[in-house]
Amino acid sequence: MSTIRVRSPASYWLAVPAAVWMLGVVVVPIVLLVWVSLWSGRAFSPASPLTFDNYAKFFANPTYIKLIGSTVVHTATLMAVTGVLGYCIAYFLVVKVRSPRWRLVLFLAFIVPFWTSTLIRAIAWVPFLGVNGVINQTLMFVGVTQSPIEAFLYSRAGITMAQVSLYTMLAAGPVVYMLNSIPPQLREAAMTLKAAPFTVFRRIIFPLTLPGVVIGQVLVFLNVMSDFATVATIGGNKHALLSNLVMLFYESSQIRGASVVAVMLMLCMLVGVVVALRVVDIRRLGA
Amino acid sequence: MRALDYRTRSRITAWVLGALTLAFLAYQWLPIFTLGVLSFAGPTGGTTFPMNGTSFHWYQELWRATVMNDFKPPLLRSTLLALACSATTVVLSVMAAQAMRGQFRGHGWFFYLLLLGIMAPGILVGFGFAIMMRLLGVELSWDTTTFLTHVSWTLPFGFLTMLAIFNRFDKKLEEAALTLGASRIVAFRRVTFPLILPGVIGAGLFGFSLSYDEFPRSMFTTGPDMTLPLAVMAQLDRQLTPEIYAVGTATTFFSLFAVTMCTFAFWAMRRQVQGRNS
Amino acid sequence: MDALTRDPPQNAAVQDPARPQLDLELRGIRKRFGGFTAVDGVSLKVEKGQFVCLLGPSGCGKTTTLRCIAGLEEPDDGGILIGGKEVTRDPPWQRDIAMMFQDFALFPHMTVAKQVGFGLEMLKKPKAEIAKRVQHVLKSFEILELAERKPASLSGGQRQRVALARAMITEPRILLLDEPIGALDYSLRETVMLELKLLQQRTGISFIWVTHDQNEAFSLGDLVVVMNHARIEQQGSPEDILQRPATAFVAGFVQGNNVFRGKVVGEGAGVLSVETAAGTFRVPAIGTPPVLGSDVSFSVRAEQLTDAPTDQHPNRLTVQCTTVEYFGAVRRHIFQRRDGELLKYDQFGAHAQRVAVGQTAVLGWQVEDSVLHVGVAR
Repeated sequence: MSTIRVRSPASYWLAVPAAVWMLGVVVVPIVLLVWVSLWSGRAFSPASPLTFDNYAKFFANPTYIKLIGSTVVHTATLMAVTGVLGYCIAYFLVVKVRSPRWRLVLFLAFIVPFWTSTLIRAIAWVPFLGVNGVINQTLMFVGVTQSPIEAFLYSRAGITMAQVSLYTMLAAGPVVYMLNSIPPQLREAAMTLKAAPFTVFRRIIFPLTLPGVVIGQVLVFLNVMSDFATVATIGGNKHALLSNLVMLFYESSQIRGASVVAVMLMLCMLVGVVVALRVVDIRRLGA
Repeated sequence: MRALDYRTRSRITAWVLGALTLAFLAYQWLPIFTLGVLSFAGPTGGTTFPMNGTSFHWYQELWRATVMNDFKPPLLRSTLLALACSATTVVLSVMAAQAMRGQFRGHGWFFYLLLLGIMAPGILVGFGFAIMMRLLGVELSWDTTTFLTHVSWTLPFGFLTMLAIFNRFDKKLEEAALTLGASRIVAFRRVTFPLILPGVIGAGLFGFSLSYDEFPRSMFTTGPDMTLPLAVMAQLDRQLTPEIYAVGTATTFFSLFAVTMCTFAFWAMRRQVQGRNS
Repeated sequence: MDALTRDPPQNAAVQDPARPQLDLELRGIRKRFGGFTAVDGVSLKVEKGQFVCLLGPSGCGKTTTLRCIAGLEEPDDGGILIGGKEVTRDPPWQRDIAMMFQDFALFPHMTVAKQVGFGLEMLKKPKAEIAKRVQHVLKSFEILELAERKPASLSGGQRQRVALARAMITEPRILLLDEPIGALDYSLRETVMLELKLLQQRTGISFIWVTHDQNEAFSLGDLVVVMNHARIEQQGSPEDILQRPATAFVAGFVQGNNVFRGKVVGEGAGVLSVETAAGTFRVPAIGTPPVLGSDVSFSVRAEQLTDAPTDQHPNRLTVQCTTVEYFGAVRRHIFQRRDGELLKYDQFGAHAQRVAVGQTAVLGWQVEDSVLHVGVAR
C-alpha cells in the first residue's frame, strides 16, 4: 500500500507526459535521421525516394573511413586513460581516505567542476596549451626546452589533455558508487581465508566494481564520441572527429550528408554499448 | 632480501594513489583558476601570461558591450530557460517516479526510454529534432524548441534522482497516513512530498544546471536569439579576448553559487526531515 | 564431515611437553577506538579443541576481542598467541584461523563451489585437489546440489552452511564465529546449534563463538567467558557461571538470579550478615571475609527459593505475587520486593503448592544457597 495503487490507471497517466516528451524529442527525431539519410535528390522534401546512394558516397571517400578509425582510436585512448585514472581516484577516495571530513573535501573538489559548463572548462584549456601558453612558459622557464613546443594547441594531444580533465569524473563516479556498496565484511572474509591484500583486490573488490567500471566506460565513450565542442575549441579547424563532420555538413546545409554521418556515429555508439554489455552483464552482476 | 611488510606496502599504495589524486585535482582546477586570473588582465593584456597589469577592464567591456558581443540578453535567456527547465523537470520527474512506483504494465520500457535521454548524445538529438521541426514547419526559437530538447536532457537526471529517493523511502509512513484516514492525494501532499523534498531540490538543480550549460542541443534548435553558451562559442569563433575569460569566470561563479545554494537547501531540508523523525 | 580431520599443524612451534598445548592465548589485550575503550586487558587461555563462548551484552567488547584474534583489528597493547606462536602483529592471512561472519559475508559474485574452494585456492593447492575436497565438503554439509548457485539465490539456512563449509575447508586451528546463528530463523537455531557442536567435537577444532544469547553459550560452551564494559567479568564452565556467579553483573545477566546489594553488618563462623533494602540475610563468606560495613552483593537462584520455609531456611522475605509466567516445564512467579525490585521464584513441574497472583507469601532459602560475589559491587 502506498500513495499510488499498483497497476492503477493513475500510474499510467502520471507516466504519459514524460513518455510522450521523450518519444517526441529523442526517439522520433533519431529515427527521422535514419530516414533522411536515405533520401535521394537534393531538395529537402519528405517525398524524396529512398536510396543508399548517400552511404555509398560516404564509404567511397577514404578520408571519412579513416575518420571513423581515428575517432575510435581517440575514444579508446580516452577510455583507457580516464578508466585507469578514475579507478585510482575512486579507490583512493573511498578506501584509502580514512577521515570523513577529508573525504568530503576531496570528493567535492573532484565533482564540483561537473556542475559548471563543459564548454567554459574546455575554453579554459586554451591559454594553457598555446604556443605562448602556460605549459610552454613553464617548460621554458624550467629549461626543458629552449623554444616553445607547438604540439599542444590545435593538436590531438591538446584535445586529449582537455578531455581527460573533463571526463575522468564520469569514469570514476560509478566506481565510487560500487566501491561504497561493498560490505567491508567481504574484504575481511577474504583476508581470513588467507587472501593477501592484492589478491583480495583482484578476486573480490575488482570483480564487484566491474559493473561500475563498465558503466563509467560507456559514459566516457558516449561523451567523447559526440563531443564536437571541445574538439572545435581546442583543435581549431585542424582536427575533426566524426561528430565534427556532422557539424561541417550541417553548416554547409548538406542535410543528407550530415544525417549519414550522424547515423554512422549512432551505429558506432550502439556497437560500443552492445560490446560493453556483452563484456559484463550488468543486470546479472547487480543482483 | 625480505619482502616489504604489508603495512608498508599498504601505506605506499595510499601515498601513490593520493599523489595521483592530488595531481589530477590540480590538473582539473588549474585551467579554471588560470581562466579566472586572466580575466583580470590589464587592458593591453593578451589571452595568456603576462597579464600586463590587473584591472576590471574586461568586465567593464562586458558590461558596456555593443550588439555584436553583448552577453546580457543571452544571459537573461539562458537563465529564464534554465528556470523553466528546472520547474518542468521537477514536476515531470516526480510524476514519472511516482508512476514507476505504480508498476504499470510496461514500466520497464518506460525506465529504458528515460535512460535513453541520458545515453543519446546531444548532437544526434539536436540535429534530429531540428530536422523534425523543419519537416513540421515550426520555427526554431530558444523559448520553444530549445526548451523542449533541454527538458528531454534534464528530465532523466531528475527522474533518476527521484527514483533513488523513493527507493530509500519508507512506505510504512504512507501506510500510516492512509490508515489514519487520509486519502491518497492528501497522504502524498502531507506525508510523501515533505519527505522527498530534498530529492525535489536535487532534481531542480539538475534541471537548472544542465540546461544552463547545455551546448549541443541548443546549437541545432535555437533560432537567431542565442543562449549564453552559443554566444560564448560565437565570440570564440570571432576573436579570442580576455572578455571570454570574464564571461567564463562570471558564469562559473554563477553556477557554483547556484549549486552551493541548492546543496545548502538540500542539507537544511534533510536535517529538518530527520529532526522530525527523531 | 569426517573429511575434516586435521593435518599436522603447519607452523608447529617447539612444544613444552609438560604444558598442555594451548590453541589460543590472549595476554592482557587492549583496544581503543578514539576515546572509547573497546577491550580493556582481556586475558584468556583456550586449550586444544575447546568450545569457548564469549557472552555479553552488545557493546561489551566481545566482537572486538574476536576481531583481534582474527587479526582484523590490531590490539594497542598485549599479546596474542595462536598454537604457541606469537601472532599479535601478523595480518589475518598469516594466521591459522578461519572466521564465520554474522551475516555470513558470502562473495556475491562466486558460485558456492568457487566460494568454498577459495580458501584452498589461496593456499595454492593443486586444482584437482581443490575440486575433490570441495566436492567432499559440499557433500558432507549436504549442499552438493547448490554447487553452481550464487549466494543471492540461497535461503538463510543454506547460506549458513555455505559460510561454514567455506571456513572449515582449510581446516584451521581455530574457528571464530561472530553470532553465527543470529541471522537464522528461530526454528532453525536449535538444530544448527546441535550440528555445530557435533562438528566441533568430531573435528577437534577450537571454536570461539561470540553471542549475546546465554542459551547458546550455556548449551554449547565448554568454557563460557562473560564480558561487560570491555572486561571479562567471569570465565568458567556453564555450571560455574550459573551456580556461582562471580559478580553482581554476571548474576543479573544470567537468567534466574535474584541479586541483592547491601552492607556487611556482622560476621561469624564463615557466615556474613548482609543488610539490604529488603532485609538482612545470611550469606556464606568466601576467601578473606570483607570488612564490616563494606559494600557487597550476593545472589540466590530463583529455583532455590521455597514458599514453605522451615528452620533450614533462615533467609526469609514476605512478598506479594504480581505475575506468573511459564517457561516450558518451569512456572515462574514474579514478586515485588519491599525495595521495589522484583523477586523471581521458579517451581518445576506439577508442584503441589502454588502461589496465586495477588497473594502474599513468605519465601525462604538456605544460607548455603546464597552466593556472595567476589567482584566489587558495581
